[in-house]
Amino acid sequence: MNTKSQVLCAWCGVIFLVLFSIGWVLLARFLPPISPALSANDVAAIYQQNTGAIRIGLALAMISAAFTAPWVAVIAAQMKRIEGDSPVLTYSMLVAGAAGILILMIPTIIWTVAAFRPERDAELIMLLNDFGWLLFVMTFSPFFIQNMVIGLAIFGDNAEAPIFPRWLGYFNIWVAILLVPGGLVTFFKTGPFAWDGILAFWMPLVVFFGWFVVMFMALLKAIKQQAQSA
Amino acid sequence: MNESGKAAEGRTTHERPVVASPSSSITLCTSDKSLPDECSAGEHVPGEVGIWVFVLGDMLVFGLFFTVFAYYRGLNIDLYLQSQTSLNQNYGALNTLLLLLSSWFVVMAVSDVRNSVNSNVLKKSSPANKDGLAQQNTSHPSKRAAMLLALAFLCGLGFGLVKIIEYTEKISAGITITSNEFFMYYYIFTGLHFLHVLIGMGVLVFLCLKVRAGISGESDLVLVESGATFWHMVDLLWIVLFPLLYLMK
Repeated sequence: MNTKSQVLCAWCGVIFLVLFSIGWVLLARFLPPISPALSANDVAAIYQQNTGAIRIGLALAMISAAFTAPWVAVIAAQMKRIEGDSPVLTYSMLVAGAAGILILMIPTIIWTVAAFRPERDAELIMLLNDFGWLLFVMTFSPFFIQNMVIGLAIFGDNAEAPIFPRWLGYFNIWVAILLVPGGLVTFFKTGPFAWDGILAFWMPLVVFFGWFVVMFMALLKAIKQQAQSA
Repeated sequence: MNESGKAAEGRTTHERPVVASPSSSITLCTSDKSLPDECSAGEHVPGEVGIWVFVLGDMLVFGLFFTVFAYYRGLNIDLYLQSQTSLNQNYGALNTLLLLLSSWFVVMAVSDVRNSVNSNVLKKSSPANKDGLAQQNTSHPSKRAAMLLALAFLCGLGFGLVKIIEYTEKISAGITITSNEFFMYYYIFTGLHFLHVLIGMGVLVFLCLKVRAGISGESDLVLVESGATFWHMVDLLWIVLFPLLYLMK
């Protein structure tokens, strides 16, 4: 069986990580996040002083988001091998993953709107900044479902040579739960549960990126196994 | 008590061959491949290894929560102490008792299931039964274990009811998640723990039905042990959470 396209799709996950890091972290310098506790003028000043780099960085981040499409597809292809004729968890993962692309992409455009006319009223810049950050950090639920169904599918794998190791199922459910505190950012402008806080932002961020690395290794292994067994 | 509960569980494991008759315990540890690992290795990890990935990962996160709490508490200790006085320690203590009790039920249920599985293995491995009776022995229902798991579930339900009463009292007194820093942690930590309790109650129902339907072998024991491990973690987290929020001076 030719599994080259699957390997290519798995690598798209890595391309996303690299491109997003270059654009969003290095160029736009959105890490650490723009604090929700800043005044409107301070927020506007960030967009005014760093306009060019923010525009380029966010454009790169926007492009990178689409690379999660093949990535989600290859996870689905391997899950389908587990589920066979009744692939409901696979489909749930696909739908949630598709929503995930938008959650990565739309905030970059909203921040881009802020950087498009940085001379506009500071209150409006802050509005767009808030909009982008809340959309980016608070919307954990599609990712939660995505990780949950991957975990459940792995638990349902009764084959003699399972496609993914069972610990990966537990890992996915653990990741799903760790993303939950992101949903609390609506209440706070400072502290650990604000959108720049350790528990609502940093922990889910680290875990989410770690999940890509772990899943990448597991996918390559599963694809190799599939190529050998066919 | 939770720790000692776990220790007791571990001890049961190691005493098991002694409980059985000496000759059969030798059979247990030498011949049958389907036997628990502890026979050959001397070390038994309860449940499947994957559940420990989850449990240790989850405890790591709660560890981070508690560290963050302790740090911010140190910065504004008066606010925390003053807010703490409006918590009802009786509810917290009652919930601690309920969870400890439920853990005890779970420990006994696991022990029952383990005995049931071992007696199955014994019958299967004895030569007399090799031909005809092995088939019959594959289903060995344990009513007592199912009842114990149901009792543990009821304790979880009681915990939930107390929690809801407690939340309702707080909210009707005007204390919400945004009241101050202390109550932010109070609602989020107890809320996330409550989410764990709900998941754990689902696990207990699943195990109870499974055990009622009959225990067929080693895989069932692993399942029950994995679920029990999760429930003990839920208990342990509360045992840290309770003094941290309600008692610490």
